[in-house]
Amino acid sequence: MATDRTLRAQSVTHAAGGEWTRERWEAAAPLAPVPEGREALIRIRDVNKSFGQRRILRGVTLDVYRGETLVILGGSGSGKTTLIKHLMGFLRADAGTIHVAAPPTASPAQAGSVATGSDSGSRLAVGEIDLGTAGPDQVAVYRRRLGVVFQGAALLNSLTVLENVGLPLVEVDRRPANEVYERVVEALRRVYLPAQEILHLKPASLSGGMRKRVGIARAIIQKPEIILYDEPTTGLDPVTVNGVNELTLDLQKQLGVTSIVITHDLDAAFRIADRIAMLYLGRIIAVGNRESIRQDANPVLRQMLTGSTQGPLTEAYLQGHAPVGHAPAGQPSGVAAAAGGGN
Amino acid sequence: MAESSPSPSAPPPSQPSRPPPVRSAPTGRGNSWLMDRFATHSGTVVLETTGRSVNQRAFAAGRAVILFVDAVGHLKQAGRSLPLIIRQLENAGFGSLFVLSLIAAMTGGILAMQVGKTLDTFGATNQLGGIISVAFCREFGPMWAAIIILSRVGAAYAAELGTMTVNEEVDALRAMSIDPVRYLVMPRILSLVIAMPLLAVVADCVGVLGGLVATRSLFNQPASEFFNSLSGALTATDIVSGMFKAAVFGAIIGTIACDRGLNTTDGAEGVGRSTTTSVVLNVIFVLFADLVITWFILVPFAAIQNWVR
Repeated sequence: MATDRTLRAQSVTHAAGGEWTRERWEAAAPLAPVPEGREALIRIRDVNKSFGQRRILRGVTLDVYRGETLVILGGSGSGKTTLIKHLMGFLRADAGTIHVAAPPTASPAQAGSVATGSDSGSRLAVGEIDLGTAGPDQVAVYRRRLGVVFQGAALLNSLTVLENVGLPLVEVDRRPANEVYERVVEALRRVYLPAQEILHLKPASLSGGMRKRVGIARAIIQKPEIILYDEPTTGLDPVTVNGVNELTLDLQKQLGVTSIVITHDLDAAFRIADRIAMLYLGRIIAVGNRESIRQDANPVLRQMLTGSTQGPLTEAYLQGHAPVGHAPAGQPSGVAAAAGGGN
Repeated sequence: MAESSPSPSAPPPSQPSRPPPVRSAPTGRGNSWLMDRFATHSGTVVLETTGRSVNQRAFAAGRAVILFVDAVGHLKQAGRSLPLIIRQLENAGFGSLFVLSLIAAMTGGILAMQVGKTLDTFGATNQLGGIISVAFCREFGPMWAAIIILSRVGAAYAAELGTMTVNEEVDALRAMSIDPVRYLVMPRILSLVIAMPLLAVVADCVGVLGGLVATRSLFNQPASEFFNSLSGALTATDIVSGMFKAAVFGAIIGTIACDRGLNTTDGAEGVGRSTTTSVVLNVIFVLFADLVITWFILVPFAAIQNWVR
């Protein structure tokens, strides 16, 4: 049964120059040089990660420019969650490096102290940290620059909204209570929540969209330089989704942060992204701005964009070799790898 | 299965399609039959699964020990976490008082009746005070406190931390550079280590009172006789050793419950599993610790005491 969508997907495939072999569509997109006037804040180079026999990341190479909104698109089992865990410093790559440039305001003395202790000094710029070798102190410094918006907001249910949003200020920065209160109210105002009405409510009595906004408020309370969004629009109604998207753009403008959004929501991606990267089977197979991604002829990307049920994405799953084709020969079903990557 | 096993002691073949294992000719070595048996596929499977489960258990035990050491390492920050500790203390200690008192009083009464019935045949019911108080201070007080706390509080810890883990709340804490061991685990373990000895003492007192009531009403013993025998039999070692035991139980319960909670996977089902295993493991390890500590108090510690005298 060929729907319009599948026909469109197929025609694009055939219109593309040359034959799209599996090797070609799974090949990593070449790394573009950093454009004039931009700076690579996070440099991800050839990151590999396996859990047991399951290879989840197979050489992710990507630059995140300072001040941009980068959307990383990927279907289930593409390694999205594993990649974001690397960016949060929870996981360390088996091979490859993730380098994070120094914060723009760091004085040379501070920057130098951050860089010491890293063994690969020759390749690291001043103040740059290598997440693969960083010690706990360096990771803590890095996480202080990072705000994370979790999929389900991940608010602590035993605490009120005030305590939740102020948690990093109280526990990490040890700010006094009145300052915490003021900054929490300001953060809630930034995410367009009625601060006075919800400050003393528990997260359980908020709606899903409000919880997400509270989660965003908590992520921005320490004035981070980088915000990671893990599936920010999953499980919300269309109006709330648009609200969250606009909020993402808004914060980008207000705070000038670098946002990395991991999602499978295409509408959201095209609405908020400066650049989009497509993650497939643990590799970045396409990266570019909205227009170039729309034009890209890679059949995997075509299928993802059209939402067709026919194409390389589905074939790979149906044949059971989606994640397995690249595991060592003789390994049983790749379903586990797909599930593991998605969790 | 059509094939009959060559020997009743052979492990069942795990793959029906495999031909029955053939017993090889005697090789002269004493245990060759056993070796051959294990060399069959099913034997290997038995060994492998046993090995794997032993491995996993050893891994989990090591993980729990590391968690405990980590929590002890965070004790110096206890001052900062004081509000958290007090919150847990109130929840764990104060909230358990009523149930514990009820159970201790009933146990005291039952103990008085059961022991008193036997003692009555010797006309020795005036010894009940000593027997009941020593039994409670050494064993029943700490044990009942442990049973109540592990089922009431330990299970709640495992479920609470398990839910937080599957909801990514623990990840969120780590992403904010808040160490979950300092913020979640240490206050819980510490509050149990503080609360358990106190609860044990409460259980001791209430249990003895329960015993007194039963003794007075059933065996017509005056309270003075009861307390006379109590003061003659009970030593400081009994009380302190009971409190020490209770503190150790508190550490075990807190550690196992938090470890299970933090290592929860698979959503709601996983939370249920964590809670169940936490209770079962706690019962086993609390009793095992009781066995070891009791032996230590009765044999080496008593020897040291005698030597000092």
